[in-house]
Amino acid sequence: MVKIEDLKRINLLRDVPDHLLEIMSKEAQLSIFGKDSQLVALGEDIDTFYMLIMGQVSVGRELTPDIDVVLDYIQSGSSFGTSALLEGIKATYNAVCQEPCEAITLSGARMIELFAENHELAYHMMLGVAKQYKEKMDTRAQMIIKTMDEYPEMKDDIKDIENLTLVI
Amino acid sequence: MVEKDILKKISFLEDLPDEMLDKVGEISQLEVFDEESTLFRQNQEQTLIYMLISGKVFLNSRSAQGTSLTLDEVSPGRTFGVSALLGESSSTFTAVCSQKSSIITVPGKQMRQLFEEDVELGYRLIKKVVLLFRSRMKMHTQQFLHSLATHPEIK
Repeated sequence: MVKIEDLKRINLLRDVPDHLLEIMSKEAQLSIFGKDSQLVALGEDIDTFYMLIMGQVSVGRELTPDIDVVLDYIQSGSSFGTSALLEGIKATYNAVCQEPCEAITLSGARMIELFAENHELAYHMMLGVAKQYKEKMDTRAQMIIKTMDEYPEMKDDIKDIENLTLVI
Repeated sequence: MVEKDILKKISFLEDLPDEMLDKVGEISQLEVFDEESTLFRQNQEQTLIYMLISGKVFLNSRSAQGTSLTLDEVSPGRTFGVSALLGESSSTFTAVCSQKSSIITVPGKQMRQLFEEDVELGYRLIKKVVLLFRSRMKMHTQQFLHSLATHPEIK
């Protein structure tokens, strides 16, 4: 169990009403992880949703045996492992603590059970996740637009920017 | 008001049962826009969700240096203006009709109000958005990694 005040420190939960945070607070755990702890492993089932209170987690992929690519750094207030809230999805990245980390964790299986019973909770959580994805997609789109501005010759090589325009 | 038979042409809504479609229909309008009509502009407040029934819409972006790029051509059946759906008021792109277009518009505020009143409807539609965004991010990351892995300096 964690305090509602701790849940309110998480960006994804900022618009979730208190009565729903109360339900989540009973399910959540506060966990401490050491530096270099691997929280998510590529290709494995994601069974936990992580909300970082303190520390930094790198999200990345191995490009070659000698090169790892860091796709994102997760910092306090941010969350990852949203796939745990969706059924049957495997991890597409590795998540590793860059320093000692304190995180609120939720069991994905338990949250999916709760979503089936409580659609209000499910709706608010999914809305937070959708906003998080939108923010990341907007950032990527802006980075690509900036790159194309500086290197117009790359325009023909970038074929999937429409994937970032949020058309559904 | 828009009839459910028209709403069923929109892929975002096509799986919804009739009673949910009726609720969406009650807050929707069917409008016709002339060629070159600007529906919304980049970085300006965006209040409507758009669902294209016929015609074509270009999504453009202007970079900091002023270069304009067409990022997507929206075809019938697709929905855009998702910022309004998620309660994010500022638009990332400019949307311009490249042909005379028939478009369903839904005020984002009313759609979110409907989601609050019918949370099952809200959950169904927002989960659909999440799954789609997730799969696109995954695809985009894979392309990015493929480009890096095949870059001459890395090979």
